[in-house]
Amino acid sequence: MRQTIWISVVTLIAAGIAIAQGPARQAAAPGDGQAKGQAPAPGRSPASLPPPQTLTPQTYPIEQIQAGEVRFTSQCGFCHGRDAAGGETGPDLTRSTLVAQDTRGDKIGPLLRAGRPDRGMPPFDLTAADLGALVAFIHAQKVKFETLGGGRRSVDAADLASGKADAGRRYFNHKGGCSGCHSATGDLGGIALRYQGLQLLQRMLYPSGQPPPAPPKVSFTLPEGQTVVAPLAGQDEFTITVLDPAGARQTYARSIVKFKIDDPMSAHFDQLGKYTGKDMHDVFAYLETLK
Amino acid sequence: MRSLASLWMGIGFSVVVLAQSVDPKDLLHPPPDSWLTYHGDYSGRRHASLTEITPENVGQLKQVWRFQTGRNPSIKATPILANGILYVTTPDNLWAVDARTAKELWHYENPRNDAFHIGHRGAAVYKDAVYLTTPDCHLIALNAKDGTVKWNIVIADSSKGYWSSNAPLIVGNHVLVGISGDFDNLPGQLKSIDADTGKTQWIFYTTPPPGGTEPESGGATGGQMWMTGTYDPLLNLVYVGTGNPTPVLNGKVRPGDNPWTCSIVALNPDTGKLVWGFQVSPHDTHDWDASEVPVLVDADFNGQPRQLLLQASRNGYFFVLDRTNGKNLLTAPYATVNWAKGIDKTGRPISNPAKEPAKDGVLIAPNESGATNYRSPSFDPTTGLLIVSVQDGYGIYFFKPEHGTYGWAGADYGVAGHAFLRAIDYKTGKIVWDHPIGDGAGAAGVLTTESGLTFSGDVPGNVIAFRSSDGATLWHQAIGKVGNGPITYELDGKQYLVVGGGSSLYAFALP
Repeated sequence: MRQTIWISVVTLIAAGIAIAQGPARQAAAPGDGQAKGQAPAPGRSPASLPPPQTLTPQTYPIEQIQAGEVRFTSQCGFCHGRDAAGGETGPDLTRSTLVAQDTRGDKIGPLLRAGRPDRGMPPFDLTAADLGALVAFIHAQKVKFETLGGGRRSVDAADLASGKADAGRRYFNHKGGCSGCHSATGDLGGIALRYQGLQLLQRMLYPSGQPPPAPPKVSFTLPEGQTVVAPLAGQDEFTITVLDPAGARQTYARSIVKFKIDDPMSAHFDQLGKYTGKDMHDVFAYLETLK
Repeated sequence: MRSLASLWMGIGFSVVVLAQSVDPKDLLHPPPDSWLTYHGDYSGRRHASLTEITPENVGQLKQVWRFQTGRNPSIKATPILANGILYVTTPDNLWAVDARTAKELWHYENPRNDAFHIGHRGAAVYKDAVYLTTPDCHLIALNAKDGTVKWNIVIADSSKGYWSSNAPLIVGNHVLVGISGDFDNLPGQLKSIDADTGKTQWIFYTTPPPGGTEPESGGATGGQMWMTGTYDPLLNLVYVGTGNPTPVLNGKVRPGDNPWTCSIVALNPDTGKLVWGFQVSPHDTHDWDASEVPVLVDADFNGQPRQLLLQASRNGYFFVLDRTNGKNLLTAPYATVNWAKGIDKTGRPISNPAKEPAKDGVLIAPNESGATNYRSPSFDPTTGLLIVSVQDGYGIYFFKPEHGTYGWAGADYGVAGHAFLRAIDYKTGKIVWDHPIGDGAGAAGVLTTESGLTFSGDVPGNVIAFRSSDGATLWHQAIGKVGNGPITYELDGKQYLVVGGGSSLYAFALP
């Protein structure tokens, strides 16, 4: 057993996965995978822009939207909100990148049928008619929230403008310790062009959503002392799963490999307990200036 | 494993005559070959006296059978075991399963309906009937023998925004059913239904009933009783946790404490009258219902033998009450909290106005899903530990006048959280051990046994056995996300562990 495990780790090296002293794995470019139409128009504040715009405008018969509302309330409403704008455990679908990129269910359909078991979303066994109705309702809600600009659940970019950028910069560089990992001219250069409003605030507090932040790195120490680094793909108390260079998942029993996980997200989590309300809004105001 | 199941099938059919009737008196003293109520017994401790499976041999547990519902929704129900038959539910569905063979005996399916479908906590049994609540707010009494309908009544109007996921609590001939619904401004209600006839005996409203003019709730609606309570037969009191007020995040239009939302209430089961109430979150604006299990414990407190009630509440505080009168004995945080300024002299947390939802967003711990939630804890009398599935997490809460006064009336988003199985010393509120179980929140309830074992599940999808005294892991099996409370019972002289993973039910036993 032990032998087998190490052989597969050695295979990782042979296949040329990032060795510790080699170039660090590049994080996905923050703009990747985001809906088009995000670039700010000249003279218009990016913060005034709404969430991801629908890539392919589409219209649906009112009867189908109404049928979809009934199905949505029944099957999806508890988690995603009856209005699709977010609920107890499910995200706001009117601000979803996947919904923005969907055309007549080509992205929503497969997601609904497969579910997202890792995030607690079950698969749904839907007839074509039910699926079509749900897709119609979700798109209709997205259009409604885009045009309303002040609906029941809305958080507008202007609502968040209570902080002071100067104070935020000081917190970022000193007390907050943010500059230990981040740079206003490096990784965060132009961050306010890529994210605005609530999305920027959420990304600041704890990076998640689309595009996903770079996964934590797992450094394996081989018996000979060499180090192999691979992106974490999953873990529990008993196993650790990384992606090999071919993108395949490799799972090891934790008890028989020697490894260390470098998770930059843990610093974000710790920071949540340190921010005062003022700190949070000040840092947000500072990030909004990084264009 | 299959051969063992087949062996039992043979024995089961040859020597065991499956009786279907449950004597209501058995609910007071459930025999070891049963799990007759949602919590196993009236106390809500979810502690079993069985000792065949021990910390020493638990590593040898093997799967005996797996029952697949064949449907997508995961099992969030605690199964009932009566007369060798398991009853397990998902929304609109109830299966009767032979506990010896995992063979489906019958399946009842409620007609498709358009009410909220979020999960279902389980069935209840009394005499020869099995009771099922449905998303569209029916209470259905089924014949335990074959699943045919004895009666079917409507307990609330689902078109107004009510639904039910409730596992009824049966006390005497009262079927106590709770109803959910906080997307609309609706009064919370607990109904007592005659177990034999289906007639309504009484209704307890947490906030003024429709058309009511009583000012005491400060204009709040809500306070739904969607989880199963507990019962003290000597005091003849039923204890139920009540839900959050509505509108949910807009507290400005409902000044004051908003009783009896976010409260533990003690009711007389024969009349539905309130005997006492204790509000764990006065004037809640974060969706932190107090529906979590009020666990009944007889034990010493400050050197005196007391009749206690323990609750690890969604708002992040652990409460110890004297259950004879509702007086507070201890309030202590058991999870990351930042929303209270202190504790008042009656033991209630004092809400910090700076942590009310605001236009520019307020970072609050816990997040909306809470420090804990529907997942049942367990009290282990040997160690004096209440073992709870906890989340340390943060959310960001928004409210501005444009959000209005109806339903949610605001917006909030979870930021991040970490899940733990956490053991609280009931005498002090101190954390004795803490076992990480993943990111986000767990979904599994907790079971303890007299041999010193704790069973629960982690976030990635393992059922795990822990040592109750220190939380050390002793055994695990990957079965998919555990969404219910594990149960244990003794059948034909052998102890079984039964637990839901995904949409299957699994049984484990020693070889």
